[in-house]
Amino acid sequence: MLQLHSVTKRYGSLTALDGISLDVARGEFFGLLGPNGAGKSTLMSLIAGLRAPEAGTLTLDGLPLTSARSTARLALGLVPQHIALYPDLTAVENLRIFGELYGLRGADLHGRIDAALEAVQLADRARDQVKNFSGGMQRRLNLVAALLHRPKLLLCDEPTVGIDPQSRNAIFEYLERLNREGLTIIYSTHYMEEATRLCSRIGVIDHGKLLALGTLDELLTRLPFDEEILFPATPATTPLAAQLQPHGDLATSGGIVRFRPRPGYKLSAFYALTEAQALPPHLFTQQRPTLEAVFLHLTGRSLRDA
Amino acid sequence: MHPILALLRKDFLHFRRNKAAVSLTFAVPFAMIWLFGWIFGVNRKDSGPSGIPLAVVDASGHAATAKLITALRAEKTFRIITEHPSALPKRPLAEADLRPLMEAPGAPFRFAVVLPADLVSHTRLGLHLIFLSNPRNEIETQTVNGILQKTIFSHVPELLGQSLQANAKRFLGEDTLRQFHRGIARTVASTFGGDADALERSMAAADFGFGAFTQPRDESLRRLDSPAADPNQKPEIKKKTSTADLFSQIVKFDTDQVVGAKVRSPMATSLVGGWAIQFLLFAVSASAASLFRERDAGIFQRLLAAPVTRAHILWSKFLYGVGLGLVQLVVLFVASSWLYGVEVLPHLPLLALVCVFAAAACTSFGMLIASISTSPEAASGLATFLIMFMSAIGGAWFPITFMPEFIQYFSKLTLVYWSMEGFSAVLWARQSLGQIFPILGLLGGITVVVMGTAIWRFNRGRIFG
Repeated sequence: MLQLHSVTKRYGSLTALDGISLDVARGEFFGLLGPNGAGKSTLMSLIAGLRAPEAGTLTLDGLPLTSARSTARLALGLVPQHIALYPDLTAVENLRIFGELYGLRGADLHGRIDAALEAVQLADRARDQVKNFSGGMQRRLNLVAALLHRPKLLLCDEPTVGIDPQSRNAIFEYLERLNREGLTIIYSTHYMEEATRLCSRIGVIDHGKLLALGTLDELLTRLPFDEEILFPATPATTPLAAQLQPHGDLATSGGIVRFRPRPGYKLSAFYALTEAQALPPHLFTQQRPTLEAVFLHLTGRSLRDA
Repeated sequence: MHPILALLRKDFLHFRRNKAAVSLTFAVPFAMIWLFGWIFGVNRKDSGPSGIPLAVVDASGHAATAKLITALRAEKTFRIITEHPSALPKRPLAEADLRPLMEAPGAPFRFAVVLPADLVSHTRLGLHLIFLSNPRNEIETQTVNGILQKTIFSHVPELLGQSLQANAKRFLGEDTLRQFHRGIARTVASTFGGDADALERSMAAADFGFGAFTQPRDESLRRLDSPAADPNQKPEIKKKTSTADLFSQIVKFDTDQVVGAKVRSPMATSLVGGWAIQFLLFAVSASAASLFRERDAGIFQRLLAAPVTRAHILWSKFLYGVGLGLVQLVVLFVASSWLYGVEVLPHLPLLALVCVFAAAACTSFGMLIASISTSPEAASGLATFLIMFMSAIGGAWFPITFMPEFIQYFSKLTLVYWSMEGFSAVLWARQSLGQIFPILGLLGGITVVVMGTAIWRFNRGRIFG
């Protein structure tokens, strides 16, 4: 559905996107994972037609986005990172304006507005000014404002920034439902949990480069270990950490030591060490690696620290 | 640290970081004071009104009037016009030319003096002059009246002598009058010395030497005669040195208000346009600053991702500004009608038309400010400065003739000036659509140029990221 080929975008001397190439298939829930400043929003803005690339091509259903912009705009819906709503207007008034921009009128528009507000549980606040909404409610409205014209491709640029878990979950469920109904979604985030939960395929981006691309399983197979072990960083575990150093990667963050064993290292050897030091088993958590580990492996930095 | 001190420190830190606030607090007031002092000629010798066009028609045929016209030319308040401004080949102005020229749109002068054929008559004692005016601005009109009377009265004695001669000739006959002159001249020459023949010739030419008594004695006293003199001076001094009272009884001024004679509330009618345009400029500038709010909220991203172009956004803002301005102007004029009796309703269609063009010009100004500013605070500071500057030199506060002549040329580049011209043309001069068309054209031209520049800047600026 969407093809990007060697897309490059610069802001002065800064290269925001450096030769990005990717395909997004129809019905896919594609995630763009990367830290702040990685180039996610720039990539979204290029796809949305807000900016033009210095080099490379972007096509939607075979049509170049630059030359077929008016057609593309009808097929695209953008959920901006900001809450791009008019705060002094009511929810209905906001949706009416954005619907009319896509040529929607009359009963059709009213029907879509009612359905949209119902879908994000805002029907009872339809006539309230948006500035009186909570952050989560504003985010939900921000989302449905991009859906009134029923786009084929929805671009979500970090749509859950700064909201409560309940609202975030509501947004996730709504997006999952839309995706099940056939909507193609590109979802940018710096939360690996979101990408893990929502996305069928993920592109890891940093410093304007697409570092890795694939399903979660495909990305995890790039790791040189299948399991990782977490334990608290305490004086009691310090000797253990020192002994593990030659056998894998050790990273300490938030008082937790994360041990990723080198290929060939047997976990039985690890547990023998813990027994020898009389460390109780409940200190240790063995888990499948996450996208955080993938990012760390690819960039040498933690996603949270980047 | 005490909470109040901590909070105080916070405010100072914010202030220091806010370039717009710093410039509004220090740089803008300083620039304003300097600029307005310069505009109004504070502490300058050439301060006061200058270059007010004054048409002078001399139909009297008296030799002494040439001196009067020379004196008027020497007065910096006036720019004397004695030739028809558009006739080809060039010819002197005639009395019949004055009224049509003063009534025409963009009149080349709004004041005229006619020295008629009966300026000096043997059928009555004293002089007869005709003064035509379009007293659109009261301050300016009073100034013109004052300086004109002063200049004329200081040259009256010579003309008055001619008037006396004419009457004496009629009553005594030419021979008896000649003998009278000769007798007086010889008596004066034998008593005080001098050439009796020269004295006789002077008397025959009606030069009785009154001018020596009536001319102000030095430059400082001469300025005191002027209405533009220092208001702090005591009025008694002015009274002593003025010669106006002495001659006002024997100079007959026929005054003729050519334009605006039927206006019911002249003062309010002449002032309301200036008020209106200032309010409008502030309103539309604030409205254009909403572009920054929408940019900061990311709304432009959403809009531009939809089938909406930058041009759509800018033109919708422009049309909104024009609509807002039109409503505001109409409300203001209707209020002035209700409060001060300005006659608005009979001229409403044409007034609304001028309002549309003025609102368009003002809105384009607001858009230009937004396009060249980097933040709403910067836009607000710049708009305040420019609005006050344009209002001052455009004539919204004082008549532009109170400024040096070269600034008066810049006045005509401001939309304040042309908007006020439009309002005045409709409400004061009661001109027709055809007559106000050039003003509408100018306002339209200003709109096109300013809005074009704004759009060009928007496409290269930061508003759309």
